[in-house]
Amino acid sequence: MIVVLLIVHGLLAVTLLGAITHQALSVVASRAAVGPLSFVGRFRSVDSGAYANAIVVLFVITAIGGALLYPQYRLDVRTALEDLQLRSANGVFEIKEHLVAIGLGLLPTYWLFWRAPLGSEQATARRYLTWLLAFIVWWSFLVGHVLNNIKGLLP
Amino acid sequence: MLFGIVYLAAFYMDYAPFRYYPDARTFHLTITPQDGPAILWYGWVAVAAVASAILAALVPRSLAERLRPGWAWVVPLGIMVLMMIYERRWFV
Repeated sequence: MIVVLLIVHGLLAVTLLGAITHQALSVVASRAAVGPLSFVGRFRSVDSGAYANAIVVLFVITAIGGALLYPQYRLDVRTALEDLQLRSANGVFEIKEHLVAIGLGLLPTYWLFWRAPLGSEQATARRYLTWLLAFIVWWSFLVGHVLNNIKGLLP
Repeated sequence: MLFGIVYLAAFYMDYAPFRYYPDARTFHLTITPQDGPAILWYGWVAVAAVASAILAALVPRSLAERLRPGWAWVVPLGIMVLMMIYERRWFV
């Protein structure tokens, strides 16, 4: 059961990562493109606002999945990391859990700023909120995957 | 904004209204070392959610609307930086 939950948690995280990365890059200020769009240009040229609801839902569901997996992590993985004296690995996970909590608290504000109609006077706040959330998602994704596979990564 | 501030305060002061003991699969309101390692994170999130919801309900709407949009991202960014500074302890 825990393996199924871990895989579902990972798949949801990938979906969230894709959505937030599209949105985060789409709000980067840029000059108007001339000629055909590059790969990055096409990646960025999405309807940013359309992602907001999906990101909120995916963030909450993925965080709940992580919260359900946490007891197993605390008993098995963290104990192993302590035995291996990998303090920094424990540290990056501690930061992950704090960032996810801060991200959960950020969601109502993020959603409010992305609610249509999008006011131009809120564009800067909307952009930085999106980037903060993107940083949280990327950190959590990378740390989760590295720690999940850490025994295989160690020499 | 308030959620992050309350969460950081609860975490810094090591205050959780309850703790989960995964070995014993039980919640406790008090520190119960005989039940193995504890998870405080659920308690921190819960106290931040409840306290920030109460505070948000108490703040008059007119006052909230006077806040500049920039505070919406500056405060969480500040909380993240403070948290990272505190968590340096794992890397020294």
